[in-house]
Order: sequence, then structure tokens, then C-alpha cells
Amino acid sequence: MIPIIVGGLLQGSVFAMVALGFALVYRVTGVINLSQGAFCVIGALITYTLERTLGWPVGLAVTGAVLGTTVFGIMLGAATFVPSLARLPNSSMLMLTAGLLTFIEGLLLVVWGSDPYDLPPFSGEMPVTIMGVRVPTQGFWIAGTTLIVILVLWYLLSRTMLGKELRACAENPLAARLMGIDVPRMTVLSFGLAAMIGAVGGIVVAPITSLQFDSGNFFTIYGFIAVAIGGMGSFVGAVVGGLILGVVQQLAAGYVSSLFSDGLAVIVLLATLLVRPSGLFAVGVARRQDVRDEQGVQLSVIRFNGRQTAFLGVLAVVLLAALPWLVPQSSGLLSSLVITGILFIGVLGLDVLMGYTGQVSLGQAGFMAIGGYTAAILAVKLGWPPLLGTAAGMVLSLISALILSLATMRLRGVYLALATLAFGLLIDSLAIGMMATTGGPSGLVGIPSFSIGSLSFATPFSMYYLVLGLIIVLILLLLGGMRSSFGRALQAIRTDQTAAAALDINVERYKVAVFAISAALASLSGSLYAFFFHFLSPEMVDTSRSFEMVTMLVIGGAGTLVGPLLGAALLTLLPEIFQPFALYKTLAEGILLVLTFQYLPAGIFGSLAGWLLRFTNRQTLIQASDVRLVKDESR
Amino acid sequence: MLELRGITTGYGAVPVVHGIDLTVRAGEIVTLVGANGAGKTTLVKTISGLLRAQKGQILFEGQRIETLSPRARVLLGIAHVPEGRQTFAGLTVAENLELGGYVHRKRGGEEIQQRMKQVCQRFPVLQERIHEVVSNFSGGQHQMLAIARGLMASPKLLVLDEPSLGLSPTLVSQIFQLIASLRDQGTAILLSEQNAHLSLAIADRGYVIENGCFTISGEGRKLLQSADIAERYLGVGASLGTVNKDRDEKITRKLRQLMLD
Repeated sequence: MIPIIVGGLLQGSVFAMVALGFALVYRVTGVINLSQGAFCVIGALITYTLERTLGWPVGLAVTGAVLGTTVFGIMLGAATFVPSLARLPNSSMLMLTAGLLTFIEGLLLVVWGSDPYDLPPFSGEMPVTIMGVRVPTQGFWIAGTTLIVILVLWYLLSRTMLGKELRACAENPLAARLMGIDVPRMTVLSFGLAAMIGAVGGIVVAPITSLQFDSGNFFTIYGFIAVAIGGMGSFVGAVVGGLILGVVQQLAAGYVSSLFSDGLAVIVLLATLLVRPSGLFAVGVARRQDVRDEQGVQLSVIRFNGRQTAFLGVLAVVLLAALPWLVPQSSGLLSSLVITGILFIGVLGLDVLMGYTGQVSLGQAGFMAIGGYTAAILAVKLGWPPLLGTAAGMVLSLISALILSLATMRLRGVYLALATLAFGLLIDSLAIGMMATTGGPSGLVGIPSFSIGSLSFATPFSMYYLVLGLIIVLILLLLGGMRSSFGRALQAIRTDQTAAAALDINVERYKVAVFAISAALASLSGSLYAFFFHFLSPEMVDTSRSFEMVTMLVIGGAGTLVGPLLGAALLTLLPEIFQPFALYKTLAEGILLVLTFQYLPAGIFGSLAGWLLRFTNRQTLIQASDVRLVKDESR
Repeated sequence: MLELRGITTGYGAVPVVHGIDLTVRAGEIVTLVGANGAGKTTLVKTISGLLRAQKGQILFEGQRIETLSPRARVLLGIAHVPEGRQTFAGLTVAENLELGGYVHRKRGGEEIQQRMKQVCQRFPVLQERIHEVVSNFSGGQHQMLAIARGLMASPKLLVLDEPSLGLSPTLVSQIFQLIASLRDQGTAILLSEQNAHLSLAIADRGYVIENGCFTISGEGRKLLQSADIAERYLGVGASLGTVNKDRDEKITRKLRQLMLD
């Protein structure tokens, strides 16, 4: 028991450090920086290279790595994060930082490869025994470093002028500017400082857990959960939340199963969000999430008229129907096209939820998993026909969506994003943990092809037309739906929930409906995915997939129905076409996402359509660059 | 001291204020009167540098400042007390005031402490609660703190945006007394107000702004007496003797009396 708790506290110290970084950036900017966890990995990997490859002494290597990470963080923050703060609503900022996380992971993959790295402990392998409990020496380094980081941060913020400046920017950026404080510089500084804390945390923990390019995901998610438990923006909360999370995780791993340890952590998070959404230690000055997050302006008004829509639609359908004959039969390209289509169905659901209604979801793949596993298990173990299994998956997804949306009804913005993330992780951990039914981490094999009655869709060719037909029907349905009073109500909710409610729009009912539509589409996509691959493993429908779907949506153009298809195609086909460059896939994805946010806020389709419209109608469009957010005045 | 020449300014590409000329001389209170949305706040933000002027020049003590950062303008001696409760809510009174003197921090902590003592003498309320966090202060205390914080920068020109917004009549008269006394001690004041009655009563000169343009300007009291103004800005209610006329007049009388003392 005691060794487990000690281990939990050590693990928790690291979560606490990541959480401190989150809290710092959140306090100064009001944005959760999802790339925070990646800085831990950068710090650790640089240390490895300096110490093991170049043979620097430990102290020098660590110092060099911390400085290097900080400089990198400052440059990255100054180039991407800070300039975007003035232009993007907070929900897009969250996605931008998700893009930064992907970017850094891609960069690490290119530089360090996909191998796990281990640092040697700073002071020998021999554990020390205290009152019968063996503690690895590295534990003292972790505990000591955490303590020092907390003390230094506390001193800096409460006792120095710099701290007052940072807090002034956090409290009231407009007034801070009037005092002569350089707000953008302070923001960059907080970003760099958070990167530094992350690096320190990553370096001290590296000797007890091996790290690889994508470990940043793990740190980010656990750090995020820790801040949420502790209270968004509270430093004490970050530390307490981190420690609680560490202990819970280790206890779950020790007494239940390490396969379920994520699940238990997520349940603690969900419980916190539902019972006390502001966390254990609410910050004195509560940020008004509703106001700050829902300033998402309609970036540009894109609306083709009826004749244009019909013309472009028919053109697109003809092109898509001809496509299978145009691609070389032997290549895997047709399969990639089918996958694009299947993923697009899921992203379409996300689009209704995020693009049209403004509800950020980081758990879309969770519904894919429900749909995929339900249909696959019913087909494999009970011999149900695929169509019935798919329907069953959709029913189960609808029930889950209903529960999730009712439970999270009060949550908005970042908290909703967190709750959906938690949902995705929970499903993920169930898929891994329920070995007997799902096949656990190694996946479920022998899934039959999709079929309707005696009509089987066993070839990519037939599957392509099935998916295309489905997409056409779905787009027509949604096109009608989004242009009806239903769609207008959703857009009203996106623009301003409170104002929408004042217009007698039943916000709760619409949100539940939208969640249901989104979940059903994801579920359908997940089922098709499983039937097409004849195989399903947790990592095919995990949280990275959720992030990828958001990326597809944003790159293509959120709030347009066709846009996400471009995003899905780009992210699925490019790596297929440029096989030799597979190593650069993650990096390219991250860069694309960040660039899209910075330069094409309406996505590829939005920009393309805007350009087309201006060309054909010569009407003036409201350009994103002309719409300034209210919050921006202060930056 | 401050001179605006043909200033056009606004948000994004859309101008809100069109080609305005304005002068504030040393030791003067100049009032900017106008309805909601007339462009007062926009103009004031352009003076302090929160917004960039699209056209025109701003001169402060003979120097062109329209391209300078807010920080540089504070250093030159322009302090802007923004509209609403724009204090640092999670910080203590002392910390708020220290940040007010932020641009002069190189002069050393002692001078800032000295200045803080001087400023607090004017605001006994703040002195009493100097180490308290300001988040649950009343509206009047927030406004006092915002003004005090502006004074920490030892400005030559104090720009006040709607200092009477949402305050009780007693507090409003206190704040207007304070403004008058600041002028008497040599600080020039630019006052942007919806409460035309009171602000013109203490002003040396006034400008009336309508749809982003100045329509009338002149000596404060003359403006106050002009029928045109009474009708347009003191509201039709003013001539009918309803709304707040009695209250405002009582305060005005009291103010005048106090200022004569």
C-alpha cells in the first residue's frame, strides 16, 4: 500500500508540474495550452542527446536542455500562440494548441525517431530504504524539484514586479496596457516559463519512465485532468490535483489492473466536473467561460445560391462517381479513398456539433469506438448481420450521447472539451481493459465485410460506392437541416447561448439533439471502419483519432458541410501518396493545422468558396481579418 | 498641451470618429459630451494609444505621439482611466497602485512608495484597505482606485472616461470635486461624460460629439446654458423638469459652492 502511494506521489509530482504550466498560461491568457506536455518530452530527449550521445556531464546537459526547451517554447509561442490570441476565439485557440502538440510530436519523431528513451537516474540505481519502504533515489530528485519549482513560482508571482505584471495581464489585459505593460511580451514570457517548467518535469521523470516522441499526449492529458480536478488556473489546485491523480492512477494500477488505470483517473475527472465543475480550488477571480469562449464570430459568410449549389453539387457527385476508374487499380489509393469517406461521415457529425453549434468535442472517436466495437463484436461473436450490428451500435451511441450530454449540460467551452476528452479516454480504456470481449490492446480480428441481406461489400470498389451513396444522402439531409429553423437555432446557440435562450430557443434540447446526431454519425463511421478493415484495435479509434478528426474539420472548414471532406482527404491521402515520407506525416499535420488557424481561419473550403463567390457574385464578403473580436481590444 | 488635428479613428477598417480637432491646454478641464455610441470612448482610446488613429496627428507638448505605444504615452505624461471597473481585481490596492507607477519603476521602490502615500491622502478609503484584494470593492471604490492608479504615473494630462458611470449621486459629486481639485493643482484633465450637466459645470471648455463629429464647442458654462444643449443632451426631460434634473441641479449647486470655498 505505502510503496504504491509513494509511487503515486512521485508520478503525481510530474503531473503537478505539467499542471502548473497549464495554470500559468491559463492565468495569463485564459487559454488551455494543450502543447504543454510536449515540452516535457523535448526537455528529456535533449538531455538524452547531450548526456548520452555527446557525453556532457549530467548537470550541464540538464541545464542545456532546460534552456534549449525554454528558447524553443518562447520562439514557438511568439510565432504562433501570441499573434493568434487576438484573432481567434478561445475554442479555436484550444485547437491551435492541439495543433502545436501535434507539430512538436512530429518534430520529435523526425529528429529522435519512434524509439523509447531512458535516462539513467541522476544519483545511482540503488534505492534508499526509509522505514521499510524502498524509494528510488530519483524519487528524491522528483519531489525536491517539484517543491523548488512551486516555491520559485510562488515567489516570482507574489513577490516580484514581474509577477505583478504577469498577474496584471491575467486580470485585465486592457488596463495592463494602459499601465504601460507590454502584454504580448508578458504572454510570450508566460508561455516560455511554462515550457521551462514542463522541461524540468520531463527531465526529472525520464529516469523512471521511458519517453518517446508521442509521450507528450500522455503528459498533456494527465496535466489537463490535474488542473481540472484542482481548479482551472489555481496553482495550489494544480499541485493537489496532480498528486491526487498520481495516487489514484497508481492505486488503480496496483489493485485493479494497469489496463484500467486510465479509466479510473477519468472517472475521478468526470466526477469532479459533474459535482464541482470549477475544481477543488476555485480561483478567486473566476473567468467567465461563457463570455470568453463564445465570442466565436462567424468568420465569413459563405452561402452559394440555389443554382450554384446545385451546379457544384452535381459536378462534385459526377467527379466522385468517376474517381474509382481514374485511380490505378493496383495501388492502395482506392482503399484510402474509402477510408477518407468513412472518416468524413464521422467528421460530418463533429461539424454539426462544433462547426454549427460551437460545442467543442475532443471525444468524437469514442463514439466511433462504440459503433465499431458493438457492430464487430455482435458480428464476430453472435453472428449478427452487419446492418443490424451497425444499428445496434448507433442505438448504444445514442444512449451514451444522451447520458453524456445531459450530464455535461451545464458545461461550456474548455470544461465541455475536457468532459468529452474524458469520455473518449474512458471508452478507450474500456476497449483496452475488457480483454475478453474486445480483444484488448491487440484488437479484434475476423470481422466480416459489410453486407445488406445477400448483397456483400467485400471489395474496396463496392465499398466506395456504398460510402459515396451514404455521404450524398447525409449531405442532402444536413443541407436541408442546416438551412431550416433547426440549423438557424444551432447557429444562434453557437454565437451566444444566453441570447439564444432569451429568444426562446430551447438550448438544452438542441444541444442534446446535436450531440445525438453527432454520435450517430460517428458510430456509423466506426462500424463501417471496422467492417472495411476486418479488424479493430483500440488505437484505431483512440483520442489521437479524435484530435485528428478535429484537425480534418478545421483544415477543411468548420461550419461548412463539404469542407471537412477536403480535410479528411488531405490527411488520409497525402500520407498514402507520399509513402516514403510517412515519417513526416505527424509534423505535416501539425504544421497544416497551425497554418490553417493562422492564415485560413475559414478552412480550405471556406477560403476557396469565399474566393469563388467573390469571383462569381462580386459581392463583398465579410473577411475574417476585418472582424475583430471584442476581447482583442485588450491585446 | 494636447492637440488633436483631423483625427479619424475606429475599429478595424470602419471609422467611428471623423476628422476631429481638439485642444487641451495646461491647467484646464475639457469635457467631451455625447450620447451613447457617439465616439467618446473611441476618441479617448486613440489618445492613450489603445487604438491607432487612421488619419490625423496627435501632439502632446509639441511632440507627435500618434504612432507611439500606450507605454510611451504614459511615460510622456498621459494617464488614461478607462471606463467601467477596469481595476486588477485579484490584486490588492497596494499592488494596483504599484502597477499604476509601473512605467516609473526604474526610479526605485522608495519613490513609488512616496507617491503612493501622496495619492492615498486623497483617498482615505483606499488607505484603510490598502492590503485588501479589490475584487469585492464597491463600484465607487473601484472608480476611486482606478483614478488613484492613474495618478500614480504622475500624469500631466489625466484622461477620464465616464467616471460617473453607475455611481450614486454622493459619490459622483465626490469624484467631480476631486477632479476639480486635481485641475487646481496643475493637472490638465480631459473628461468624457454622458452626464452633460455635471461635467459641463466643472469644465473650462467643452466639446459636443455627435456621430463621431464635433458639433458644438465652447466654454463649459455657456454650453450648459445654451438651449440647444439642454434640449439635446440634458434630454427633453430636462426642460420638462422630470428625470434627474432636481438631483443634478442640487449637486451642481453644491459643487459650485464647494469649488468657491
